[in-house]
Amino acid sequence: MNQTSQNINPANIAARADSASKIYGKGESEVRALDNVSVSFERGKFSAIMGPSGSGKSTLMHCIAGLDALTSGSVFIGDTDLSKLSDKEITKLRREKVGFVFQSFNLIPTLDAYENITLPLSLGKSKGDKAWIQQVIDTISLNDRLDHRPSELSGGQQQRVAVARALATRPEIIFADEPTGNLDSKSGSDILKFMRRAVTDLKQTIVMVTHDAVSASYADRIVFLSDGHVAGEMTDPTPEKVLDYLKHLGE
Amino acid sequence: MFRLSLKMTLARKGRLLLTSLAIILGTSFLSGTTIFSDTINSTFDRLFTDVFRDVDAYVRSTDSVDTGFGEQRAPAAVSALETILKVKGVSSAVGDMQSYARVIDKDGKPLGEDQGPPTFGGIASASSAGLWSVEDGRFPVGPKEMMIDGETAKKGKFEIGDTVRVNALSGTREFSLVGIASYGDVSSPGGATFALFDQPTASEFLLKPGFVDAILIQGDGTLSDEELTKAIDAALPTDAKLETLTGAEITEETTSQIKTVLGFFTTFLTAFSYIALGIGCFVIYNVFSITAAQRQRESALLRAIGASRRQITVSLLVEALIVGVLGSVIGFVAGIGLSRALSALLNAIGLEIPTKGLTINTNAIVQTVLIGTVITILSAILPALRSGRVPPLAAMRDTALDTVIRLTRRVAIGLVLIVAGSVALVASINGADVAILGLGVLGVFAGVLVIGPALSKPIAVLLGKPVVALRGVTGAMSQQNTARNPKRTARTAAPVLIGVALVTAFTALAASVKNEIRESIGNSFRGDYALSVNSRGFGGIPISTTDQIGQLNEVAQATGVGFIAAKVGNESPFVLVFNPKTADGLYDLAMVEGTQKGLSKDEILVESDKALDKNLTVGSSVQVTLVDGRSMQLTVAGTYTDAYGNYAVSRELFEGSATPLFDSFIYIKAAEGVSDESAQTAISAISADLGIGKLESRDEYIDTQAAQVDQFLALIYGLLFLSVIIAIVGIIITLLLSVFERRHEIGLLRAVGMTRSQVRTMVRWESVITSLFGAATGVVLGILTGIVIVMSLNDSGFSAFTLPITNTIIILVGAFVIGVIAAVFPAWRATRTEIISAIASA
Repeated sequence: MNQTSQNINPANIAARADSASKIYGKGESEVRALDNVSVSFERGKFSAIMGPSGSGKSTLMHCIAGLDALTSGSVFIGDTDLSKLSDKEITKLRREKVGFVFQSFNLIPTLDAYENITLPLSLGKSKGDKAWIQQVIDTISLNDRLDHRPSELSGGQQQRVAVARALATRPEIIFADEPTGNLDSKSGSDILKFMRRAVTDLKQTIVMVTHDAVSASYADRIVFLSDGHVAGEMTDPTPEKVLDYLKHLGE
Repeated sequence: MFRLSLKMTLARKGRLLLTSLAIILGTSFLSGTTIFSDTINSTFDRLFTDVFRDVDAYVRSTDSVDTGFGEQRAPAAVSALETILKVKGVSSAVGDMQSYARVIDKDGKPLGEDQGPPTFGGIASASSAGLWSVEDGRFPVGPKEMMIDGETAKKGKFEIGDTVRVNALSGTREFSLVGIASYGDVSSPGGATFALFDQPTASEFLLKPGFVDAILIQGDGTLSDEELTKAIDAALPTDAKLETLTGAEITEETTSQIKTVLGFFTTFLTAFSYIALGIGCFVIYNVFSITAAQRQRESALLRAIGASRRQITVSLLVEALIVGVLGSVIGFVAGIGLSRALSALLNAIGLEIPTKGLTINTNAIVQTVLIGTVITILSAILPALRSGRVPPLAAMRDTALDTVIRLTRRVAIGLVLIVAGSVALVASINGADVAILGLGVLGVFAGVLVIGPALSKPIAVLLGKPVVALRGVTGAMSQQNTARNPKRTARTAAPVLIGVALVTAFTALAASVKNEIRESIGNSFRGDYALSVNSRGFGGIPISTTDQIGQLNEVAQATGVGFIAAKVGNESPFVLVFNPKTADGLYDLAMVEGTQKGLSKDEILVESDKALDKNLTVGSSVQVTLVDGRSMQLTVAGTYTDAYGNYAVSRELFEGSATPLFDSFIYIKAAEGVSDESAQTAISAISADLGIGKLESRDEYIDTQAAQVDQFLALIYGLLFLSVIIAIVGIIITLLLSVFERRHEIGLLRAVGMTRSQVRTMVRWESVITSLFGAATGVVLGILTGIVIVMSLNDSGFSAFTLPITNTIIILVGAFVIGVIAAVFPAWRATRTEIISAIASA
């Protein structure tokens, strides 16, 4: 239960934050969304970031994923220090080394499912690994809907396409921001099972932001955030353990 | 609700600005044109009131011919002056003249543009009734002295004491410059040049000894102008064919004449400003449609909390009202600047308007703001009604991205319009009124615009294919973005479509006219050289010069052709005057019936279509009245096809007449065995002596004549330029709104690895495809319109339609460039999309 980030073998770190701080506003209205956070995410594992609204969990994800810049400190994807990269280099890194699944609006409405899945590859003008893409598509079992546009897919199917897109480039790490937040429980658990299989069977790395104990329990390890600080960690969680922990977190 | 919509409107300054921009551009041209014509009108009102200040009565001939391009009047005998001076109440009287005369500058080149303002010769005298006053030096006296207006002196760099060469009816002579004249308080009205002499010299040199154009009279103050006029009229012999006008009448007439001439120009400008405004309408309509769609959630929320349909609709109309008034007021102010630009443009081409500041009437501002506001509200009605129909539930839903359109109904309505338009067109081809032609073109245009959304998707997809091949997934997204909302794409492309269609139609028409000119001259002109001046109907080469050239040893044959205003039947056309004795084998009228050879002074030739129209055949009799009032019955001796003008007579007809006769062009055939060089040298010697006329080889001459069409085309292009700007602004606004609408999408694309430059590429190609869609449909429509117009004007001398291939390619390349330019700012805005906020707000 008290295993810390330092226990991970440095060669096995997919992404990490070092004394990361993100401050919005100035003076009176200053908000410290992240306050000196240091955390690492292990390769080949399914990690979750949990915390109440405003705890800084989404900000942490955005900064590690290179979508937002830190006020101070540094973040790494693999060995790459993002603060040293230009916008163009970060874009390329997101395209090749990072996958994303958002809560909603994950797909481009004018592209069909297959085109959405291969979008990061097409943007980099690369064909990608055909066999791998097929394997991913098989995993999400959407073979018969590949030529459909997002508007012709259900919410659950859309999220599955989003997961497939995140996997398509075989990235260093995948970030999922409340991926089941907009889904019914059946579709939601489907998505979580897919993500679990992507880690276990396909050896991928996923970091998921969630505030739902059941979702978080699919992960190998949970990092708890509160008021911009790391409040604690938990490995091999169950929904009960998580709820119990959250109950005591406020005390 | 009014306060609420006012607040909501003002809260969105960006959108307010964008919508206003379309209205500002549309109204600025209108206000610019209005202010410009008001300024011209008040300028000439003021000028002529000033010039005719001391003229209390005006005597002139009763005989005149009005060709529609200014009235031509018979001269008055100067002997009437004696009679007039004896009338009680007359203090002074003097002859007045406005005949052709051209000042030749120190390099031997005639002053004044070929297509510019006229070049006049007139009378300057010390009499207080005279129109001209001395600015410097003194009035001319005797056959060796002259004055010129200040502007011409400046242009020709003439100073008092210089010797000045002047070309007029009796040839070219040299005079000593003794004074610089001013007309009222300006140096020259409207940029015309004036060579001024004393009355006897002017009569002899410019017109006919003993004749003037009119007599200016000043009273001694004992009688009112009306009484004076009556007294003079009574004193004049009844058979003198003279009439007397009051000073006020002639001032009014002169002013209205110049206004009529300039009126052509302002009417032309106004027509194009309405085209610009119409194109602006599309942009306004498009902006309101898009914003109405974008605020669907807002409207739905208002409906959910209890706003009625009416209130939603009214709130959008209130926004339109605010934007309309605001945009029109700014447009009006912009128009002031534009009218200055128009004045500067006129100055640059030599048509100087002697303005003393701009004239801004309340009328102009009321008209601009009213029209601007009304069209804005009209353009907003449909989107406002649609907005009101939003169900309250839509507040909970995401905005639909792909709008479904009822294609069948649209295509049906569009086809009905096109078919109706085509029927009108066919009718006009078969000879119906020109108004029917206009209605037909309008119908077809409207039909195409209605069908637009049905066409935009397939055509955009097609046009996007090469983009996909070139730019991969980025290109595919541009293509799909153009196709995703066919209505929006069609509406955005509509201004481009209309602009391009007009440009293409005019270009095609010009190409056909040019071709026609080439063929026509090519057929009629059989010689080696042409000596020409471009002053059809007013001045030209003295006919004695033509005979002189014909007698040169180096020349085998020379024949001149001129034009003169006359009444023929119930028409007042310019009649072609040629010399049947020298024309044979050199100037060929392409006779259908009869022969041009040996045409006598009792005979006339008629253009074949005209003959058909007027029911004239060989042997028919036609009543012809010359400017000097001489009337005669001429017999139709034949019909022809190829020439400028519908009637042709022999120059013999004018022998002994006071009507000034000039040749506009002379065709020349070199003598056998004479080298090109020596023939040209010999002819040039005569034309250099004369100071006017351009000597060209046959090919050069044909090129020059055809090239005149290009000047007109350039003017049309210039006037359509503003419409093109509005079209570009329309694309910019639509793209900006689309980029804003798709910010989630762009944020997502950036998140998954689209670079800023790829975002730019995506927006740019969307813009290019939209613009090309408009241009491609516009080109097709323009060419079809061109063909129809050429066919329907068949009997006006057009025979074949010429497709302007090069110009069409240039237009398409231009549309490409427009697309690229229009995308610059929206593409930049798209790259500024904040990824986090775009995704977070999804």
